[in-house]
Amino acid sequence: MQSHQSKAQPIHKLAGKGRTAVAQARLILLVMVNVAQLWILAATVEAALAQQFSALLPLVIASGLCFVVTLTLIFWWRPASRRFTSSGYIKR
Amino acid sequence: MSSNLNNTIEKVLADDRSDENDVRTATAPHQRDFPYDREEEAQVTRREFCNFLGLTSAALFVGAAGFAGKAIIDARQTPQFSASKIEGAEDLIPGSALNFRYPTAKDSAILIRTHDGELHAFGQKCTHLACPVYFERAHQRLECPCHDGAFDAKTGNVLYGPPPRPLDPIKLEIRADGAVWAVAREAGSSEDPI
Repeated sequence: MQSHQSKAQPIHKLAGKGRTAVAQARLILLVMVNVAQLWILAATVEAALAQQFSALLPLVIASGLCFVVTLTLIFWWRPASRRFTSSGYIKR
Repeated sequence: MSSNLNNTIEKVLADDRSDENDVRTATAPHQRDFPYDREEEAQVTRREFCNFLGLTSAALFVGAAGFAGKAIIDARQTPQFSASKIEGAEDLIPGSALNFRYPTAKDSAILIRTHDGELHAFGQKCTHLACPVYFERAHQRLECPCHDGAFDAKTGNVLYGPPPRPLDPIKLEIRADGAVWAVAREAGSSEDPI
């Protein structure tokens, strides 16, 4: 009978993996927000050329919100400290 | 046979010349003038990429706000039109069209004489993405080749396709000598600028 027991990894290594995952998720979110903003810009250009003025303000507000989200992701959305995480005090 | 192959493999492996070396040799003079570290340049740190995405986001926001602002400012301005004679309009045969410039030399427009002899003129920019429309004789309508939109040749109203509003109509005047003059271009959008 085969056993599928995996070796237990040290907790600081697990925390490192978690930090990398959070950092990568942050980058992916930033890219997604940029793609959404690109789409909003295309819609704004189309509305401006078609002189659909009622659509312009919501589109600019949406683009501004995306920019604010980007700023929050860059400045405040960071992986938790390696010393203090939800799983407790890790660093020796 | 096998030993020959082995010898060749060894010879190739021993030769340290590769594509990378060729590139380095070829770009050596340029490297001397503009020194930079190839390996360092190839790497982009996470922080740099984050900053780049932040700047892109700012640029996209400024672009959207700029486009919207310019459209609103342009729409608020009330242009002054001066009458302009359309050369060759009197000789236009029914069921054909003529291109002219109005109100400025940069604005292309199209004059159509329908089968019943009536004259109609419109700005040539498609109201979808500003491609120039052309007169389709077979169907007697104005068509946009970019995204397959079509407009009525008499009214300028959208027949089908993505354009969201009719073409900008141009007011015409036929003077005593039979010459056709463009006198004004009407506002294309029914919406008021904010």
